[in-house]
Amino acid sequence: MSTQVNREQIKGMLKAHKPRMKRYLSHCMHCSLCAESCFLYMKNDKDPRYMPSYKVLNSLGKLYRKGGRVDRAFLEDIKEIVWKNCVLCKRCYCPVGVDIPAMIAFARSICRSQGVHPDEEQSWL
Amino acid sequence: MIVGERKPLEEIADLLKAYTKILNVGCGGCTSICLAGGQKEVAQLTRDLESHFGNQGANVRIHELTIERQCNADFFADLDGMVKSYDAIVSMACGAGVQFVADRYPDTPVFPALNTTFVGFDKDVGWYEENCRTCGDCVLGETGGICPVTRCAKSLFNGPCGGTRADGTCEVDKTIPCAWFEIHKRLKAQGRLDLIHKVRPAREWVNQTRRSVIQEPYKERYTK
Amino acid sequence: MAQFVAFIKGPMVWIAFGVFFAGLIIQGWRFFTMSRKKDLAYIPGTEKKKKKKKKKSKKAKAKPKKKKTIMERLQPLIAFADKRWDNLENSMFRIHPLVSVVTIIFHVFLFVIPIFLLAHNELFRSAFGFSLPSLSDQTTDMLTIIFLLCGGFFLYRRIFVRRVRAITTWWDFVMLAVTLTPFITGFMAFRQWGDYPTVMLAHIISGELMLILIPFTKLGHMIYFFLYRVLIGSEYSFGQGKRAW
Repeated sequence: MSTQVNREQIKGMLKAHKPRMKRYLSHCMHCSLCAESCFLYMKNDKDPRYMPSYKVLNSLGKLYRKGGRVDRAFLEDIKEIVWKNCVLCKRCYCPVGVDIPAMIAFARSICRSQGVHPDEEQSWL
Repeated sequence: MIVGERKPLEEIADLLKAYTKILNVGCGGCTSICLAGGQKEVAQLTRDLESHFGNQGANVRIHELTIERQCNADFFADLDGMVKSYDAIVSMACGAGVQFVADRYPDTPVFPALNTTFVGFDKDVGWYEENCRTCGDCVLGETGGICPVTRCAKSLFNGPCGGTRADGTCEVDKTIPCAWFEIHKRLKAQGRLDLIHKVRPAREWVNQTRRSVIQEPYKERYTK
Repeated sequence: MAQFVAFIKGPMVWIAFGVFFAGLIIQGWRFFTMSRKKDLAYIPGTEKKKKKKKKKSKKAKAKPKKKKTIMERLQPLIAFADKRWDNLENSMFRIHPLVSVVTIIFHVFLFVIPIFLLAHNELFRSAFGFSLPSLSDQTTDMLTIIFLLCGGFFLYRRIFVRRVRAITTWWDFVMLAVTLTPFITGFMAFRQWGDYPTVMLAHIISGELMLILIPFTKLGHMIYFFLYRVLIGSEYSFGQGKRAW
């Protein structure tokens, strides 16, 4: 497996969705009121790393902050966030109305575009 | 995905009336997505049951947990440790999940809180439409992606019945389009109209037709 | 220096308000271009057709009129109130009662204090010839104290509450400072704490900065909240939600 990622492709994808995604990311009030709506947060002893806002800011948020200048190791890191720590049940609540599942789904598609996705042994979906 | 509907509260309460320590388990899969059995619905059911049993003076303790899916053994670590503290489980998963849980904990009664209704798609928030009957022999490749089992009132497989109305609606139910009329339009638009002539042999139709029951004492109400 | 002060107190006020209103309109318009009207006709053949008007039958069935009891008349109102209570029980007020109440007070006072402040209304009157009714200075003074306490609550949350700290960045502190500074300096100016001209200048500059930043930062949630929560269809939308991203 190649250790290189196609940064131009990632940048292109980020740019194509930039208006909406950046809007969501900038509108996030960092209020943490989305936490209780995520059953994974509630199930994991209210670990802040399972808050929908945390997941998004540390996956797609980081991708935009780095402008797509990432490597495979980075994508492998966020793979756990967007696949294991989120089932995309789309029940997350945001008082402002930010579309959190759309950001997780987009981060997943960026990972997939570089061949980073859960393996057969990892049953996360 | 799989769509379900919560059973009436009285029915669920009746199933659980003999138990005092109940675990209400939600599912983060299909029933969460269709707003029937997710964490929020688990909380709502717990409140409703506590209120119902409280009104009857019964002393019932109900705890909640929602896991990723109830149809896969990988997600049961938390539940495995909790089950022995309860004398009943009420599951808000689909029928597959309820049975998986029941098989995993054969000594604990497991009750379904939902009626699993169909396989379908999201039309709008909280609104789901059936479009798959899981017949096990999919012909969508030959019908332009329109299912004759769910979309045709008679589930015909070889063209329309001849009762299609002038505006393209079904003679049985004029609120729905004639499925074969739509199949014809779709295949024609895709340049695959030759498929419409393919003859499909008779299938085993046991349990495939849409069922409806009107009990004897109520028949008069619907035949004026 | 005098020229700078004159600019800040004069043209810059108009510029700040201009950017504020234009920015809100532009961002609101961009929402409509970014979102779309929902198309629900996924099932082929079920697109909306013109309904043919049915001819009303001339024979009207004579229905005996039944007198309704008081309870029967009140039933729709009871059902409405019941549903509102149910919504309240399922809402943020139940999960986060303190944050919900504090944030409502904070946001209401954020508007009420500047708009009904006597001093602001006098400036408005001298500019436009009319003004809104004003609250008494004692009232706005008290409201400002409560507002600043709410702001302090949010600051406390940012620093000491683990789940909020986990997603807090330096920008959040900047935004909180931008929001609170006009009120702190206004409070100080009213009570003549510190060097009055300096405090007033700081008040005006911080107010202008806040107005300019509102449409282009997360502070814009003052308009986005209503657009997104009412117009976008989701489990949590307040309205019909006929739009989608």
